[in-house]
Amino acid sequence: MTAQVADMGVLADRGALNSARLTQDARRESLTFLALCSPGLILVGLIIVLPIGWLFWLSFFDESGALSGANYARFFEQRSYVRTFITTFQVAFLVTGLTVLIGYPLSYMLSQISRRAAAICMIFVILPFWTSVLVRTYAWLVILQRKGLVNTWLMDLGVIDQPLPLAHNFTGVIIGMTHILLPFMVLPLYGSMKSIDTDYLRAGMNLGASPTATFWQIFFPLSLPGLAAGIIMVFVLCLGFFVTPALMGGGNVIMWAMRMEQTTSLYANWGAGSALGVVLLAVTLGLLALFHRLMGARATSVWGG
Amino acid sequence: MTKLWMGVLTAAALSASASGVAAAADTITVASWGGSYQEAQSKAFFKPTADALGITIKEDTTNGLDDVRLQVNGNAVKWDLVELGADECARGTKEGLFEKLDYEVIDATGIDPKLVHDDWVGITFYSVVLIYRTDVFGENGPKTWADFWNVEKFPGRRALGGAFATETLTVAAIADGVPLDQVYPLDIERALKSLEKVRDHVDAWWTSGAQAMQLIKDGEVDMASIWNGRASTLKAEGAPISYTYDQGVLNADCMVIPKGAKNKDVAMKALAMFLKPEIQANLPLYIANGPVNLKAFETGKIPADKVAEITSAPENAKKQVLMDPSFWADHMIEAQEEFDNLIQQ
Amino acid sequence: MSAAQSALPISMRGITKRYGPVSVLADLDLDVAPGEFLTLLGPSGSGKTTLLMIIAGFVRANAGSVKVGGEEIITMPPHKRNIGMVFQNYALFPHMNVFQNIAFPLKQRRVGAKETATKVGRALELVQLSGLGDRRVDQLSGGQRQRVALARAIVFEPRIVLMDEPLSALDKSLREHMQIELRSLHRRLGMTTVYVTHDQREAITMSDRIAVMNNGRIEQLDRPEALYARPKTKFVASFIGESNFIPVECKDGAVWYDGQRLQTTSELPSAGQHWLVARPEKVRVAGGASNLNGANVLQAVVRDVVYQGDSFLCYAVLAGGEQIALRDYCRSDVLSLIPSAGAQIRLQIPAEDTTVVTER
Repeated sequence: MTAQVADMGVLADRGALNSARLTQDARRESLTFLALCSPGLILVGLIIVLPIGWLFWLSFFDESGALSGANYARFFEQRSYVRTFITTFQVAFLVTGLTVLIGYPLSYMLSQISRRAAAICMIFVILPFWTSVLVRTYAWLVILQRKGLVNTWLMDLGVIDQPLPLAHNFTGVIIGMTHILLPFMVLPLYGSMKSIDTDYLRAGMNLGASPTATFWQIFFPLSLPGLAAGIIMVFVLCLGFFVTPALMGGGNVIMWAMRMEQTTSLYANWGAGSALGVVLLAVTLGLLALFHRLMGARATSVWGG
Repeated sequence: MTKLWMGVLTAAALSASASGVAAAADTITVASWGGSYQEAQSKAFFKPTADALGITIKEDTTNGLDDVRLQVNGNAVKWDLVELGADECARGTKEGLFEKLDYEVIDATGIDPKLVHDDWVGITFYSVVLIYRTDVFGENGPKTWADFWNVEKFPGRRALGGAFATETLTVAAIADGVPLDQVYPLDIERALKSLEKVRDHVDAWWTSGAQAMQLIKDGEVDMASIWNGRASTLKAEGAPISYTYDQGVLNADCMVIPKGAKNKDVAMKALAMFLKPEIQANLPLYIANGPVNLKAFETGKIPADKVAEITSAPENAKKQVLMDPSFWADHMIEAQEEFDNLIQQ
Repeated sequence: MSAAQSALPISMRGITKRYGPVSVLADLDLDVAPGEFLTLLGPSGSGKTTLLMIIAGFVRANAGSVKVGGEEIITMPPHKRNIGMVFQNYALFPHMNVFQNIAFPLKQRRVGAKETATKVGRALELVQLSGLGDRRVDQLSGGQRQRVALARAIVFEPRIVLMDEPLSALDKSLREHMQIELRSLHRRLGMTTVYVTHDQREAITMSDRIAVMNNGRIEQLDRPEALYARPKTKFVASFIGESNFIPVECKDGAVWYDGQRLQTTSELPSAGQHWLVARPEKVRVAGGASNLNGANVLQAVVRDVVYQGDSFLCYAVLAGGEQIALRDYCRSDVLSLIPSAGAQIRLQIPAEDTTVVTER
């Protein structure tokens, strides 16, 4: 009995050995960690949280500075806002879809050819990246308009006798934006495809899956993280596009960012534009959450998260 | 003028304003629309004024009322004089963004009273005119806005200003047969109904002068509304186009001193100089925009053959509708919203 | 999981593979008996993995024939070959759980859900992973992954099974454990297996026969004991086990070293310079007067003695300067004989424990 008590005493002492120092060290470590993070946190707070909060705050005041829902009511009262909102998401979905349809096979090809060849092809994908959006949009205008290259050639060849309406409309906006956003789809997809071990594909075929089955059951699911990243990036960028729809749309395609600019210059009140920003932010976050739920289950198993 | 670049240039202007140091008393900063228009202004107005007064005039560019509002509301006014569209001046007045002008210093004789106000004054004229391609219509193209609206008689692709309801609605009213002297006060309902008739035949709604120019130049459209400065540039470049001042919409740009401007008194003197007939008469030598002070035409500085090309020359002004900025100060917002509802289908 | 009687033979003829001007496999012939566990052993670059990939169909040979049970498969696409394979890194699909991984080959063969469940259950039982079907692949230990890969390779009862260094990622003790387990699994299932490794101990432990490969050719194909006892080339002798090489000259039907005639029961190659191979554990220190009949005795000077607990290693230098290693257990009768460095000793090599090999 006494022996047991003595043992426990020793154990208790041992349990406390250096414990104060060690606890203190642990606390200091987490404080240091926090201090190291703080420049980043402060920056995020200053340039993201604060302005968005301010934007949100402003949107609830009308021109006279009184608290009001007028900025939001406008959204439902004026047809052009709803129309613009729908157009924006139509364009975003369509462009995202097209970049997937074009970007996926392209990335697949790049991931299968030799590194050297892929590097050369990648330059052609990224090269337009280094040119300004404005220049590229004007280039598309030159190519697509009524007396542009495409229509001139097709008419000279006798394929068509009336010029195709390719610019200054919805089609033109879609073409221009798809081209500009394609690299944002290809880069994450290529990265994700390149990291797929060929042994997985060999294993798939070895186990009796045809090349098609191997693609859909092995390669495609493993490329999903890259695809999800590409889709999110392209979709979100689409929602904020300004220059390309303004030039390629010929005033027939008004997107949300253009609407915001118009509203801001029309009203003597930042809140009018802020409300549009808040609505877009809310709907975008909602869609991303939905997307995450849809993709999440499959993608996270690959991410191992 | 080019509202399209609002966002981009606002950022540039903001960063410029942040770095601005307090100017010496004999230095003022004037902000205008940039481009070839401001170059002409610089030669016609700014340099002669600076020389005459012995001051330094620094130049900047603006995107319009937003910039002024941002500076005034943010207590960071760095411009002493700003050029705006007349309707913007009228709206800015209501918001109280400008300093009162001293008409003891400024001599406003020769300027249309509609453009002389407590805190803003007209500075130059421009017009919205009807342009068409002669390779499509020969010399028998659409000459009136009613012709432009007549899609059977004049088939072809059309473009109208899409960002500026004030101008396009005025045009629509003329097209509907409102006599030129009765256009203002504008019947907005009637103008909108008129616009609705041609809406589905408009292939592009331009949002900047450059875009309007490009549409016509590349043959993307066969007829359009366009600013006269852009039209004369196209003509000078040899494009197959024709335009007249018939049924044009005469519109003014104005100048203001933003509330809280640091060199208010010097700015007042400079503005007075800009408006003197002799200085005003310099403008047509460099660009097709017209002097706001009609006494400029009496100075004899403008060559007789040039006079016919100037939008505000008495002969041309008679054929046009003068836009009423005060009217738009009260009706701009509803009109623009209804206009957007109509064209954004 | 079929029994040995349905196992099929593999017959390879004239397999040739070149990458540009570099020849990887040169006109190679190899037969694997039904139910046999055959190992391709060789250093990296010897062509063993390429040969395996040609059998699996992932590498296209320039020429040759691979027949399984008499059927030519070399022109078949990989997914129609019906060959089970365990990959070096297991290649378990990370987006599927254990059950889905093992069920994958059955799904491709349109096996019903019920039968799939039964077969996967039996395969999991076979590799002792019952109840882990729901686990994600990244939740498994290295050994468990290895077993899942194995289960996946055999669950669809393939005609033959290929294994590409399947144990190389495991630590030593687990590797030795899995060697025994794989061996016993092979005994139970009896399918024809081709196994690739560069680990000669692993090859000796597991194989029915070993094909020692070097520079795209099979240097020797034999049972492990025979390979060890009677290597045919210096390469095989050096690659498998430890060896002493004594440079000898063959002439007049006899073997000569440094003017001394050596006894050997090995077949003699053509006259010329060759090597006499003696394994360290076959070399003895000749005690006092005892001179075994038929044994060779060579004079040497001890350079170093390394004590290894259960055994010791003694390095001695021959008259011609060649180093000879000698290994013996630390029995009391031997311990008394351990010489110290610098001592003059006589090495005793029995004639039946020597082999004469050619340089190539």
